[in-house]
Amino acid sequence: MQDRPTAVELLVDIAELLEHDVMPALEGPVQHQVRVAGNLCRILSRELALGPPAAQRESELLSGLLGREPRPAAPVEQLNRMLVDRLRAGADEELEAAAWSVLVDVAKDKVAIAKPGYDSFDFRSEVEQ
Amino acid sequence: MSVLDDTVSGLERFLSKVWEGDVSVGGVSMASAGARRRNVLFEATAPDGSRVAAVATIIPTAGMQLMDIEVEASNLRLARAAGVPAPGVLAVCTDPAFVGGPFFVTERVEGETVPRRVLRLIDAHSGLGADLARQCGAAFARLHAVPVERAHPSLVGPGDRTPAAAALAQVERSLAALLQPSPVFELAFRWLARSQPSVGRGPVVIHSDFRNGNMIVGQDGLRAVLDWEGCHLGDAMADVSWMCVRMWRFGRDELEVGGFGHRTDLRAGYEEAGGRWDEDSFHWWKTLGTLRWGMGLAGQARAHLDGSFRSIVMAASGRRVAELEYDALMLLGAAYRGASVTSKP
Repeated sequence: MQDRPTAVELLVDIAELLEHDVMPALEGPVQHQVRVAGNLCRILSRELALGPPAAQRESELLSGLLGREPRPAAPVEQLNRMLVDRLRAGADEELEAAAWSVLVDVAKDKVAIAKPGYDSFDFRSEVEQ
Repeated sequence: MSVLDDTVSGLERFLSKVWEGDVSVGGVSMASAGARRRNVLFEATAPDGSRVAAVATIIPTAGMQLMDIEVEASNLRLARAAGVPAPGVLAVCTDPAFVGGPFFVTERVEGETVPRRVLRLIDAHSGLGADLARQCGAAFARLHAVPVERAHPSLVGPGDRTPAAAALAQVERSLAALLQPSPVFELAFRWLARSQPSVGRGPVVIHSDFRNGNMIVGQDGLRAVLDWEGCHLGDAMADVSWMCVRMWRFGRDELEVGGFGHRTDLRAGYEEAGGRWDEDSFHWWKTLGTLRWGMGLAGQARAHLDGSFRSIVMAASGRRVAELEYDALMLLGAAYRGASVTSKP
């Protein structure tokens, strides 16, 4: 067991240092790079907390979609590869519709880490005329 | 001497040559210094003593050039002649000896170009967002009405395929180059391939990157459309839908057109100026544009990882792919939402 601060706490500390102290002392492209680096620290802090349950859920959802037993779990990248291959294999609209629903859940978990709140807008006002 | 001093003397030498007399250049400032081009604002005093507020658009290195500078200048002239607001071209220089790269000089148009500043200007003027969307629609329609044979002969077109088929072939190549599997992009590609817009209109001259960030806006609305280096022959709805993808709304997601207007206004402006709008095709191309940009971001991360363009910004692009995947899925919602329940036996 590592001592406090935790990894999540330290990443937030680094993000705050970059955003509050380093960025104002800079200008131009390097200021933008530091802003981006600060945001990446925040993404990583969320990934440490939310990543493992999200990967577990993704693995279960994809296994279910592909009709596989969730355990022993295949690596999640392999499951994604299998789904890509299945989608590519043919015009299976039923699979596509089921995949859409699963992939929305996976995408929401991904943006919860990459950009919280991004899924509060759902395009319904413009795709449903 | 600084780069700017070199630029001033280079501009003076070049303009003195083309305007046949002594030209002096002053009031110089750098408007933007992107990787691909530099925009330098200046004021030139012509041999007859008249003063011209101008902009030099300089391509610093030939490797960054997407299009020959003379072709880009001809696009600006073509657009202006068709009634599309675009800065007037004053001079074109293909010789890199003057300012370190080929460049053209245009009249300076006052107004806002930075997207968030454009949106603040719109906030301060009631009705401006809707007016701007209509003006953008009209500008698109006038460009799309240009007879193709009047465009520069070197503009790229879809060849003997439809623009949609050509775009799909490009998407398929990008899919094959992804570093990791994306079922979302694969699904979007499957839907796009099956739902191609019906043929019936040929390729037209399109700008391909006319959106919030590539235009000059004032209190009276659209003053100029900028950055004509991506101009080519393609589908009209590809052009108008690109302005409406989510990343050009800068957080104002409910305003589909660049974060400032509604599609109904863009469409009304387009149709009033004689354009033919097709909702299905618009939706198809908006989905394709979203998918293509998602894969573009993945490509930036790939360029960082393989060492061809190391940059923390490019690395971060990899973590923005999720946004475009989400957007693509939502755009596919009209096709798939609820279908997983109703189509099961």
